[in-house]
Amino acid sequence: MMKRAREEDDSADERPVKAFRAAGIDRLSRLSDELIVRILSFGSVPALLNCQRVSKRLSRISVDSQLWKAAYYNQFVLPRASRLSGIKSTKNGGTSEHLCYSSRASKWLEDGHLVKKGSNTDWKQQYRLRHNWSQGQCAVSEIVVADRPPEPPLLVMMHNSMLFTADSISGLRVWTSQDPRQLIASIALMEPKTNALRLPTAMALDAFEQSVTNQRVVLGFEDGSFTIYVLKREESILTPLFDHPPSSNGMLSALAYSSPYIMTMTEDQMVTLYAFSEDETLNGTLDPPRLLYSLRSHTAWPPVSIAVRTHANGMTAAIAYALPTHLTGWTVGIQEMRLSSAGELLQSRLATAAPGSTLIKSQPMSMSYSHPYLLATHSDNTLTVYLVKSTTEALSISAGTRLWGHTSSISGAHVGMRGKAVSVSKIGDELRVWDLEGGANPTLRRRRPSNGDMSVRVQPLRASAEDEAEDTSTAAQVPSSGLRFALDQKFDEEVVNRGWVGFDERNVVVLRERTREGRQALVVYDFT
Amino acid sequence: MAANAQPTDAQPKITLVSSDNQKILVDRDIAERSVLLKHMIQDFGGETPDQDIPIHNVNEVVLKKVIEWCEHHRADPPATAEDDSDNRKKSTDIEEWDQKFMQVDQEMLFEIILAANYLDIKPLLDVGCKTVANMIKGKSPDEIRKTFNITNDFTPEEEDQIRRENEWAEDR
Repeated sequence: MMKRAREEDDSADERPVKAFRAAGIDRLSRLSDELIVRILSFGSVPALLNCQRVSKRLSRISVDSQLWKAAYYNQFVLPRASRLSGIKSTKNGGTSEHLCYSSRASKWLEDGHLVKKGSNTDWKQQYRLRHNWSQGQCAVSEIVVADRPPEPPLLVMMHNSMLFTADSISGLRVWTSQDPRQLIASIALMEPKTNALRLPTAMALDAFEQSVTNQRVVLGFEDGSFTIYVLKREESILTPLFDHPPSSNGMLSALAYSSPYIMTMTEDQMVTLYAFSEDETLNGTLDPPRLLYSLRSHTAWPPVSIAVRTHANGMTAAIAYALPTHLTGWTVGIQEMRLSSAGELLQSRLATAAPGSTLIKSQPMSMSYSHPYLLATHSDNTLTVYLVKSTTEALSISAGTRLWGHTSSISGAHVGMRGKAVSVSKIGDELRVWDLEGGANPTLRRRRPSNGDMSVRVQPLRASAEDEAEDTSTAAQVPSSGLRFALDQKFDEEVVNRGWVGFDERNVVVLRERTREGRQALVVYDFT
Repeated sequence: MAANAQPTDAQPKITLVSSDNQKILVDRDIAERSVLLKHMIQDFGGETPDQDIPIHNVNEVVLKKVIEWCEHHRADPPATAEDDSDNRKKSTDIEEWDQKFMQVDQEMLFEIILAANYLDIKPLLDVGCKTVANMIKGKSPDEIRKTFNITNDFTPEEEDQIRRENEWAEDR
C-alpha cells in the first residue's frame, strides 16, 4: 500500500506540471510574421526545413523567399566570390566583410538574373537545385530516340531544357528535358528535289541570347551544305530559315553558331565564317550570308571543338584542337580569329598549352571548349582542364591540370555554365560533376566547401511514389546505384555511352546505347 | 564617443513611464539607444524634454531589463541603416554578457523581443532573435513544438508530405 500511495503521490506531483505544459502559452506564434522571419534568418537550412513541419503558420513563414535568397547567397554565391581571384582582394583567409550579403545584382555573379527576376524567383527551389548539383543527387529517366543506331551517329545538343537530336532517319527532333519528357517538334531532313534523306554530320545551337520562344539551330550535312532552322516554341514547329548549298570542300564536321555568325569546319579542317543579316525577311527566311573568312588549318588534329563569341564590336572565333608534340605526347592548342563587325579580320593568333608536369601519351578522346575552360578527356580515365586567357594583347593557355576521379574510360565531357563540367564513362553508370572554378590551384581548392574533391559522383535518387512509371525507364525505379546498380541492370558490356553528354541548369543528359538491342536512349539526370 | 563615457550624474535625465504607470529615470544617451525614443527626443527640438515619455507597450519589469541592456551597451557604436538591411551578420554567436542577460524565462525573452522591436533597438532585437534561433537549432519539429508549446495543426499525411518534399536536404 505504501508503494501505491507513493505512486499516487508521484502522479499527483506530475500532474500540475503536465497541465502547465498543455496550457503553456505559444509565445512564438504570437509574434508577427516579420519577427518570426527575423528569428529564422539566424537559422540554418536544416532549421528552416524543420520549422516547415512544425505548424501551418511556421510552414508558411519558413519558405519565405527572402530567407532562402539569403541562404542561397551564403551557400553558393559567397564561397564562389571569395574563391574567384579579383573579387576578393584580401589574401589568406582574410574576412570577407566587404562581400556581405546584398540584394544588389552586381554582387551575385552569374546568378544576377535570379535577382533581377525579382519576386518570380523561387529561392527555395533554386537552393534545392544547386544543392542537388553539389551533392550529385538526381532522378534518372530515359527518352528513347531510336530503335536502331543511325549512321552516322545521332547528333544531340541541349539548351534551355530543350534537347535537339538529329539523324537522317528521324530528322531533326526537339524534346523537352523537363517533365513530362516529350517530343516538342520534329522535321524530316530531305533533299527538296529528290526527297532523298540527308545525312546530318554536325549541329550547333544559336548561343546568342534570344527570346526563349524562338531557338535557332543549324545542321551541317555530309555534302557540305547546312540549313538553319528555327524552333517556334509556342506553335511547336520547326521551320527552315536558310539553306546553304553543298560545297566542294566536303562534309561538315563541326559548327558553331552565335547570331548573326556561323562558323563551319569541314572534315579536312577547312574553316569558314559567315555573317547573316540580323532580321528575317518577310517570308520568314534569312538572306544569304556574307562570307567573312575562310582558312584551312594545317595544325589542327581531331578532336576539335569550335566556338564563336560575339562582342559589342565584333566577334571571336576559336578552334580548340589536339596537337601532337615530339617529346611529351599530346597537348592542346587554340587558334583564335578576331573580326570586326564589318567582317574585317583584326587578328589571328595561335596558342598552345603551357608545358606542365602532366604527360598526355595518347590522343585526347574528346574536347569541350567553353571560354575560359577547355576540357579534354583521355582514355586513361582522366580529364585535363586548361584555362584559356584571351585579351586584346595576348592569347594563352595555362598548363593542364589532370582531373582524377573516374574509374573507367571516359567517353565524353562537357563544360558549361559557372565552370561546371560533366563527364561520363563509357561503360557502366559513372557520371561526374566537376567544379572547375578558380582552376585547380591548390590554395584556391582548399577554400572549397566540400572535402577538397573537385568532382562529385552523380547518384540516382530513390524515385518517389508519385514518379510516373515510364515503361522504357529501367533506371528511375531502382534505389541502388554504382556497380551494384550496373550489375543489376546488366549495364556492363551491354550499354555504351556514345560520348555525348550535355547539361543545363536543371538536367544532365547522356546519350546511351544498348549494344544488344541497338536501341538508343537519352538518359536524363534531373537535379530538380 | 567620449561623451558616452561621462559619469552618469553629468547626463541629462529623461523620465520614462511604463505601461503600468511606473516612472523610470534614465540618462538621455541610454534612452537614445532606442531609435524610437531618439526620434521622439529630436521632435522636442533636440532639447532634453522635461516632461515624462510614456512607453505604452512595455511594463516596468521589462523596461528595466531593456534599460539594463542599454546601459551595458551604452558605448557601442550606433547601428547604421546598412547594418539592419543587408550587412547583418548571420551568425548566431552571442557575446557572453548578452548570453547571461538572456538567461530568462520564455515569457521575459519574448517580452524583450517585443519591447526591442517596439522601441526599435536593433542590436537587442537581434540578440533576442538569435537566442530563439538557438533554441530551434538542432531540434526536430516535435521538439520545437514542445519547446514553444506550438500546436501541431498538420494532419500526419500533411506533415509527411512536407518531410518527403524536403528529403533532398537530408544527409545521406
